[in-house]
Amino acid sequence: MAVTPDSAVFWYGCNMTRHGEVIRTTTRLLEAVGMDAAPSGGPAHCCGSPKDASARINEGMAKRTIEGFNATGRETLVTWCPSCHMNMQDSMAPVTPTNFETVHVSEVLHARRDKLRPLLKGRVERRVLLHAHLGFNGRVPVNAMIPEILLMIPGLEVVEHPYRAPGHMCSAISAVPGALADAQRATLAAMAETGADTLCTIFHSCHRESVSLERQGVGVANWIHLLAESLGWPAEDGYKAWRNAADPRAAIGEAGIAAVGELAYERFLDAELRKKPTI
Amino acid sequence: MTLVEHIRGESARLASLCTACGACVSACPMTPYAAGVAEAGPGAVATGMRDVLRDGPGTPAALAWIAACTRSGVCSAACPEQLDAAFMMRLATWRAKGALGEAPKIPVKEDTQYSPKVKAFARLTLTEEEQAQWL
Ligand code: SF4
Repeated sequence: MAVTPDSAVFWYGCNMTRHGEVIRTTTRLLEAVGMDAAPSGGPAHCCGSPKDASARINEGMAKRTIEGFNATGRETLVTWCPSCHMNMQDSMAPVTPTNFETVHVSEVLHARRDKLRPLLKGRVERRVLLHAHLGFNGRVPVNAMIPEILLMIPGLEVVEHPYRAPGHMCSAISAVPGALADAQRATLAAMAETGADTLCTIFHSCHRESVSLERQGVGVANWIHLLAESLGWPAEDGYKAWRNAADPRAAIGEAGIAAVGELAYERFLDAELRKKPTI
Repeated sequence: MTLVEHIRGESARLASLCTACGACVSACPMTPYAAGVAEAGPGAVATGMRDVLRDGPGTPAALAWIAACTRSGVCSAACPEQLDAAFMMRLATWRAKGALGEAPKIPVKEDTQYSPKVKAFARLTLTEEEQAQWL
């Protein structure tokens, strides 16, 4: 008898649209461990936190998001973003009733890792330092679970270092002058001390802020990229290539610019892609 | 219940349990980035944070600490009363930003390009079919 996959919504959040390959690969990973997770995100599925200065607007956005998820009838909400996850538990669900359980994607993949193990056939010869933060780990122990998943990859080593960046992800510390630069310097020092060749990011905003560290001679990959590499699944990190290109417009190419729209590219993407590295 | 009621209710509940001992301030890795916190001392900063939860004006050092909060969460583990100090700081941040309708007490940085940027990146990294189904 065929086993019916659990039905879930994969709430990837808002800013993950920079990393379409991560959304796609994570959805495929969830499917591989028996979870049919429908990806859902972007501004129409916002947690409301971009409007933290108005509880009324914040609540309206959060309510619309929960009502949309409730309407799917799917019993599990799989989160990606630690901020969305905490907001769902702390301020969204207590205000608007939910008919689903909220779990983080790392919890699902960790609990079902025995299903992933036989699929991880390709060797990934890397010595990896996990880009770990202090925050969120108290809620979901990502800093222990993700290395346990990664260690199933043949050839991959995970080094241990006690450094933990403050905050729950890099977007938070990037808003405090000096904090991101300090964290990046400490991270590079930890990599040098442990002989790590690759920094493995957990969250999207950490990945976004860390990709330019490749200019300092280290590799930067998200944990989903590393899993994809071993699985032999295509998951090219376009964002990293654009951020590190001398000319991001040329790196994106004409077809990509046409898809975004010339005006939208100039107004919304060009400045971010040309942003100088923090350190 | 509305979010305003939730913020008010949780602020009052947690403020009534907080002794303003300052253990959360002492444990916080962000205090070096918050002007005046070292000089004011942990107890005074915690008192100022609790004041914000009680509709008060807070103090400059407490507001600087609230503005520098990045949700590291070590404050909750440090609290001898076993309060969710990290959530108290989230509540204090809302209140200091003027979420309940008052004038903001700390800078509010809103990315006005947030939504069009998210959609523009989606057009670059997702297929049209994925955009139609996933956004
Ligand atoms: S450690 Fe707990 S009791 Fe002490 S000031 Fe902080 S929140 Fe209040």
